[in-house]
Parts: sequence; structure tokens; C-alpha cells
Amino acid sequence: MKKGPTLLLGALLALGLASADSAAAAQPQAPIHFGAIGWESGAFTTELLRVIAERGYGHATDTLPGSTVSMEVALARNDLQVIAEEWAGRSPAWVKAEQAGQVFALGDTVKHAEEGWWVPAYVVEGDTARNIKPLAPQLRSVEDLKQYPQVFRDPEAPGKGRFLNSPSGWTSETVNSQKLKAYGLNDLYSNFRSGSGAAMDAEIGSAIRRGQPVLFYYWNPTPLMGRYKLIRLQEPPFDAQAWATLTDAANPAPKGSSSLPAKLSIGVSKAFRDNYPDLVKVFEQVDLPIDLLNRTLASMSEKRTPPREAALAFIRDNPAVWKAWLPADIAAKVEASL
Amino acid sequence: MSEGFPQALQFSFADGINRLVDWLVLNYGDHLRAVSDQLLQVLVGLENLLRLVPWWLLLLLVGLVAWHATRSGVRSLVLVGLLALIGMLGLWDKLLQTLALVLVSTGLCVLIGVPLGILLAARPLARRLIMPVLDVMQTLPAFVYLIPVLMLFGLGKVPAVFATLIYALPPLVRLTELGLAQIDPSLLQAAHGLGASRWQRLRRIALPLALPSIMAGLNQSVMMALSMVVVASMIGARGLGEDVLAGIQTLNVGQGMEAGLAIVALAMVIDRISQAYGRGRR
Repeated sequence: MKKGPTLLLGALLALGLASADSAAAAQPQAPIHFGAIGWESGAFTTELLRVIAERGYGHATDTLPGSTVSMEVALARNDLQVIAEEWAGRSPAWVKAEQAGQVFALGDTVKHAEEGWWVPAYVVEGDTARNIKPLAPQLRSVEDLKQYPQVFRDPEAPGKGRFLNSPSGWTSETVNSQKLKAYGLNDLYSNFRSGSGAAMDAEIGSAIRRGQPVLFYYWNPTPLMGRYKLIRLQEPPFDAQAWATLTDAANPAPKGSSSLPAKLSIGVSKAFRDNYPDLVKVFEQVDLPIDLLNRTLASMSEKRTPPREAALAFIRDNPAVWKAWLPADIAAKVEASL
Repeated sequence: MSEGFPQALQFSFADGINRLVDWLVLNYGDHLRAVSDQLLQVLVGLENLLRLVPWWLLLLLVGLVAWHATRSGVRSLVLVGLLALIGMLGLWDKLLQTLALVLVSTGLCVLIGVPLGILLAARPLARRLIMPVLDVMQTLPAFVYLIPVLMLFGLGKVPAVFATLIYALPPLVRLTELGLAQIDPSLLQAAHGLGASRWQRLRRIALPLALPSIMAGLNQSVMMALSMVVVASMIGARGLGEDVLAGIQTLNVGQGMEAGLAIVALAMVIDRISQAYGRGRR
């Protein structure tokens, strides 16, 4: 009974509700708090890192839920110590905290992450097994879209094609709207904003399952990319000046360019960087091959595997990938724990 | 995970539902899209019709209807002013899209809701069976059924009409039933004695007596349809809700407020006119 208040106090300290920095400094053995990321690649990476921290280094870990921005703010206050997939530099909250030296982006976890415009492969190549004819055999680049508005017919605006944009309010929505102008597709395609991420996924998934043509904005690494055969439409190479015209919704004459290459990192708080130098070194080495990651995510989402199990299976099946990040003795410990 | 409840008694039907939705999409997706295209034609047609009407004529028409309903010049002017305000905020086209959506869903509500209410009032068994269904319709979180509906009927206005219908139908059914149930049975017996047929009793006596209640139900349906506008925009239906959503997601509180108040203004216009008709006749 007497221990009650002490335990509670300890829990409060561990949660970082009290003065965050001193708490972490005084109790390096408190569990490491990871942000509980909701999307698949983030959830998977979180569990992968937790397994390494727990089984390789013997640190306790747990996760705390939150939206992207609230997790970034929590990281700056050291209420969270690790965000396993951070699209560093994209949100003002992150940029501010990074400039103040409160958070750090470690490593380059998924190389060749990208965003762009995609169509299912059967639209270009056909699919004899499903008896689908190639409706747009010449489609390679965004330029070729001019020939095919009738393939991606928009039932709400007959005579136009439909480009499935991201929901209003996403940064990418502005970029895509400007790209439509830049590629001269504004009069041929309606700029269809999908309203919410869930609605967008449902529409793309439904179209692919029915073998219908669909033209959409999407990004990598995602289960969708590993699950279906998709073709990314070629765009002009990345050009910083053109990119500036694309991100500015008010620019009347945008110029075409591929999107800014995405850099995925592991976000950590300052206190974590100071207290866990061994893990920091590992996090800087993390490198997930994108094709393998996409395939892993696809099977995870298809079979509805919990991320923890998917991470353990990944560790079991792909020792070569993760052993490269770890010192040999730690790697042996992780392997022995399976 | 959920300790405390015996493991042996726990079950999940999530996989079954997932398989069912997949199967429906695969086998009936294309047919349902064709159906949805038909409904879409009605919606787009109505939208284009509204667009053809010059703005001043539409305001004038609303003013006339308002005057006809309320018989008050001041009120009609205020209502027209509210609509004009939406136009001045640069939201005229979005207003028309939202109006078309609300009109079509409310029209469907009347077509389905009033007969259903009559059935419920006449048949106690139907009443006992359908009441729980109405409860589910009003309380099941919209996104739970929206995503499957969207996969079957496509993104945009059609699933938005369905969502609105599911949410806005129950009050009309309930109030129609209530209005009919409250009629003094001796009136109907007297009519029966005078040789009026079942249909005549319903049309000439029951419905006119229940009209205030039915109109109150209709009014509630319209209000609920308008409150669904933002949810509708989350599945790709254009209109005022889209601006609210974009405003919220980009922390542009001002934009969200403008569009939000435009929805309120539209609601007030429809509410005052329909209320006046519900009350006015007697």
C-alpha cells in the first residue's frame, strides 16, 4: 500500500509528464517510448526497432499513440523518444524543433522512397489471366495522358478523365493540382480530391480488384505498392526551381518536375541521443530495401498480420538485411532470442 | 489482450465481413457502378439545371417561395439576404452542389420515409421489426458503412447520397408514424361508417391530420442531411463541406468558418420555408 504513491510518481516521471529532460537523465532504465504510428510502414518499422532494442540491448520499450504532429511535438518535449518513420523536414513542427536542437533525424532508412502518379500495370499491358485488354498501350509518361482521358472516364464530368488526387489539405494535393496545370492536363482531366486517405485507398483498391482503369497519386513505401503491379508515370527530372512553382498554389504558370525525393529517417529526442549512443549508432545504419519493404507490407496488410509478428517474421527471414546494421555480438543475441 | 473476459467466449466476425466485402466488390462491383451512374446522372443533371438559372433569378425564386410560405416580406428578404451572402463569400457554385445533394437525398427520403412511416403505423409487427433498424441507422458511425459503400458504388456523390439517406431517413419515418398514431381513431371509424375506402381514409383524413408531424420530420431530415455535408466531403463529394474539410486540415480556421456558416445559412433558409409550410395550411 505504501508503495502506491511512489510507483505512481515513478510512472509519471517515466511518462515524462514532469520535467522531461531530467526524468530521462535520472532514469536511463525507464522504457523507451516509441510513437505508435498508424500507417503500415511506420508501424512495421517501429516494431522492428523495438525488437532490436529489447532483445539486442535489453532495454524496455513501449508505444504511445498520437497524430503525426502531436507525436513530433511530444518528441521535442522528450515525452516520446523515438519516431521510427519520420518524413523529416516536411512539417513546420519538426523543422522548428530540429532548429532548436530538440530532435534529430537519424539515418536514411528507406532509400528511393518516392511519390508520383501511378496506374495499374494492366491498363498499359493488359492482363490475359483476368481477360483485361490493354486500354492505354502507349502510356509511359504524364505527357501521354493527353491521349487517354476517355480511358480514365470521370462519371461526374463526362468527356473528362479523372485524376484521383489526395484529399484537400494534404501538401501533396497542392503539388498535384499544380502538376495538372504544368502538364497541360487541366482541361482534359478533372482534379478529383478524394476527401480522406481511407476513401482514396478504398477507391483504388476497388478499381484494381474489378480490373478497371484508374489514375492516381500515391507514394512509397506502402502495402499497395507491394501488393499490386503498378506503373509509375514518368515525369521530368527533379528541378528545384520548378518544384518551387509546384508547391505554391498561387503560382499561375507552374513548371513540371518530379516530386522532391523523400527522405525517411528515424526521429529521436535530444535526451535519447545523449543517453543511448549504442542505439543511435544502429539507427544511423538502418537501411530497408524498398522492394522488400513493400512486399513485406503487402503481405502484412493482406493477411492482416499484427506489425509485431510481421517484424519478427522479417527478422527471421531476412537476417542479411538487419545483421549489417548491428555489431556481431548484438546480432547474435537477437538471433538467439527468436 | 482483453483480460477479464473468458477467452473461450470471445469471438470475432471481422474476417467474415472482410471476405464478404471483397466478394461483393469482385462479383457485383461493376453492376452496382452502373446503377450508381444512373443516380449520378440525376444528381449532375439537377446540378447543371441549377447552374443554368442565373443567380438573381434563383434568389428571386427563393424569395417568392419564402413569401408564399411565410407571408412576411421582412422574413423573405432576410432569407434571400442569407443566400446572397453565401454568393458574396465566393461559394455560389459549391452552394449549388450542396443544394443538389441535399435536394436529391431529401427527395429520396420522402419517397421511402413516408410510405415506411405509414406501414409502421398500420402494422405493429413491422413497427417492432423496423424500429431497431432505425436505431442502427442513426447511431452506427458513418465511416463504418461508408467505406464498403464507396468500394461498391464509387467515390463521390452517390455514396454521399446513401450516407445522407441512412442518417436522415429515421426522423421522417418516426414522425410520420407518430403523426398517424396520434389521430383520434373515432374519426377514421366515422369515415369507415360513411363508406370511405381504406385509401380514401388515408389520403383524405389521416395524412392531412398528420401533416404537421410529417413536415416536422421532413424538416429534421433536411437538417440532418445538411449536417452530413462534411462527412460527405470526406468521401469525395464536392460542395460546401469540401471547404470546411480543407479549412480544418490546413488549420485555415477562417476558410472553415466561412464555409461552415454558409451551411448554417442554407439550413436556416430551408428550415424556415419548410417549417412555415408545415404550420401554415390550417
